[in-house]
Amino acid sequence: MGTRILAVEDDERIREAVTLALEDEGWTVEGAASGEAAVEAFERHPADVVLIDIMLPGIDGFELCRTIRRNSDVPIVMVTARNDTHDIVAGLEAGADDYLTKPFQSKELSARIRALLRRIRPAQLGHERLVFGDLELIPEEGKVLQGGEEVHLTKTEFRLLCELALNRGKVFSREELLDRVWEYDYFGDGRLVDVHIRRLRTKVESDPANPRHVVTVRGLGYRLQA
Amino acid sequence: MSGSTVDADTLEPAATEPPERVVGSGDGADLTPSRRWLRVFPRRPGPLGLRRRILLIFTLGALGLATFLSFTTYGLVRSNLTTQRDRASLDRAYRNATQVVRELRDEERPTMDPALDALEANGTQDFVLRFRGQWSAPNGEFGEQSIPPSLRRRVLDDDTDARMIAVVNGRTVVVVGTSLPEIQGAYFEFFSLEEDNQTLSNVALSLLLAATITTGLGVLVGVLAARRAVRPVADASEAAKAIAGGRLDTRLTPTEDPDLGVLATSFNDMASALQLRVERDARFASDVSHELRSPLMTLSASVDVMEARRDEMPERAQAALDLLVSDVARFRGLVEDLLEISRFDAGAIRLHLEDLQVSRFVRNAVAVSSAPGLIVTSTTRAERAIIAGDRRRLARVVANLIDNALAYGAGEPDVRIEDANPPDERMSHVKIAVEDHGPGVPVEERALIFERFARGASAGRRSGSEGAGLGLALVDEHIRLHDGRVWVEDRSDGEPGARFVIELPAREPIDFVGASTEAGQEDLA
Repeated sequence: MGTRILAVEDDERIREAVTLALEDEGWTVEGAASGEAAVEAFERHPADVVLIDIMLPGIDGFELCRTIRRNSDVPIVMVTARNDTHDIVAGLEAGADDYLTKPFQSKELSARIRALLRRIRPAQLGHERLVFGDLELIPEEGKVLQGGEEVHLTKTEFRLLCELALNRGKVFSREELLDRVWEYDYFGDGRLVDVHIRRLRTKVESDPANPRHVVTVRGLGYRLQA
Repeated sequence: MSGSTVDADTLEPAATEPPERVVGSGDGADLTPSRRWLRVFPRRPGPLGLRRRILLIFTLGALGLATFLSFTTYGLVRSNLTTQRDRASLDRAYRNATQVVRELRDEERPTMDPALDALEANGTQDFVLRFRGQWSAPNGEFGEQSIPPSLRRRVLDDDTDARMIAVVNGRTVVVVGTSLPEIQGAYFEFFSLEEDNQTLSNVALSLLLAATITTGLGVLVGVLAARRAVRPVADASEAAKAIAGGRLDTRLTPTEDPDLGVLATSFNDMASALQLRVERDARFASDVSHELRSPLMTLSASVDVMEARRDEMPERAQAALDLLVSDVARFRGLVEDLLEISRFDAGAIRLHLEDLQVSRFVRNAVAVSSAPGLIVTSTTRAERAIIAGDRRRLARVVANLIDNALAYGAGEPDVRIEDANPPDERMSHVKIAVEDHGPGVPVEERALIFERFARGASAGRRSGSEGAGLGLALVDEHIRLHDGRVWVEDRSDGEPGARFVIELPAREPIDFVGASTEAGQEDLA
């Protein structure tokens, strides 16, 4: 049994074609025609990756994203017909890990899925705990403690934090983070990094508006500090 | 490919050549500050403009009114003054003459002393008295010879009373002469006019001043009135310009003036109608391309599935599949372009600007284009140039130029990064040029090819498998948004072929000296 993908798409033809194409790439695909059906399918049998079309009747893609995120850190790829900033940022803020715009090529989608799954197994971090003030990373267990209490991060958020923690004090550019966390080339979308940093801050910072740990270095990028 | 590598130095002369045809620079871009200033006060050739006409009317009106009032006032004052003075001097002269007669009527002695004493007693000085053929003048200034001969004749010979104005000893005086037959004499008295003249000239001076001030005020009011009258027109003109420039939500502020309110209202109605229409058109294009995305998604995914099984297909099916694959890709590009251009039309494009090292950016952009193997050459100075750009949008610009060159350019194009400024000048711009080996673009079509779906007269020659599409129109829009310019010219080496040049604002990098990694850097999140 290979990696299972839950593809949520209301257009039957697209769902069928994408299912065929993804099965060709070697994934096991389960289709869902609506948000409600997707929630039910996911509860019955959690998938390894969820593909969500934003424009859904009933529960829309954003809402579905949030619903799944409440109980799961499964990688979510959002599919949008509009590459307007608003939709993309809203989708990422709802908890999506990455996005694609229609029409995408199945190879492209497969590459994204592979990158997401690799993200689940973080880079070789060693065994020691990494401590940044009241923030503590336990790479082995995939855990983050803030003031001694466990913080729940998605895989991508955890991976992002680990990359920042790897080289203590180093400033990472958006480009570097896109490459290391998302495996994007030079033309990756910087908004992915920005929104994930924002999401990360709401979880690990006591005052997300004035971050102490995940700080912006203007014109250069981001850095993790104690 | 080594043949396409150009030594950095040989590019220098080309970098300073002026562009032949500039596309992508807005109307206002070439305005120098002084010309921009002139636009505020437009020069009007031929007939006078409304503003000048109003000013002229006010000025002439004020001048005419002031002149008329001044002259009238002066005339009135003068005639009043003269009348008063005449009456006063006549009264006084007659009174004095009567007194002289009274004093001398019964005088037996040939002396005038009683009369002189009497006159001296009431303060009269400037007089000449004749009594029984003898003259007497107590004041040295006026004597018998001071009396104008004509007056003297009339008084002495004709026995009439008379007066006249004369200049005596350099002073303007009125001389009143009275014949006194009872005492066989005559009485002349001199009244100075100096004081009156002084008064009159003071009045004239005041009036002149008042007239000048009035005229000045007239001019001032004229300027204000003209500005006020023209302001709604100027506002409307500014607003129309703004709308033409793409700011469709520009409106005139409503005014309470009923005359001008009509202008503002109808202008705003027109602008709203225009905006609605433009937005509807843009939304339509956007909706169309969104609607097309769904079937395209199905097509694209299905084609992927078929392509994976290409080897299992008969030859004819393979050929058909190849056509399908390439045209689905083309279709996809067209839909993307259409959507992008509708975003431009709706003014919905927001650039994500970041500092990009131009050479690194161009090499990466070429690597993801349809000809990833192209060699990019650069001058040493331009190599390090930094541009502020939206990297994904600019990458499409480069990709579009490369696609264009591949479609029309006969073979692989050269991609070059060049200085836009002479070596001794500060860097302000950098050029990215794509040169092909095709037939080139005729001068008269150089602006046209940046139009949407443009097909020039030489379309037959230029049209390859790819349609003209929106590629170059998008290049133009993107570059314009980056405050840059794009144009097409002849190849720099004189060989046949087109050279598409993008010029973007750029600067030389600031070298950081390790400061960026130090702890305690500012946090401006």
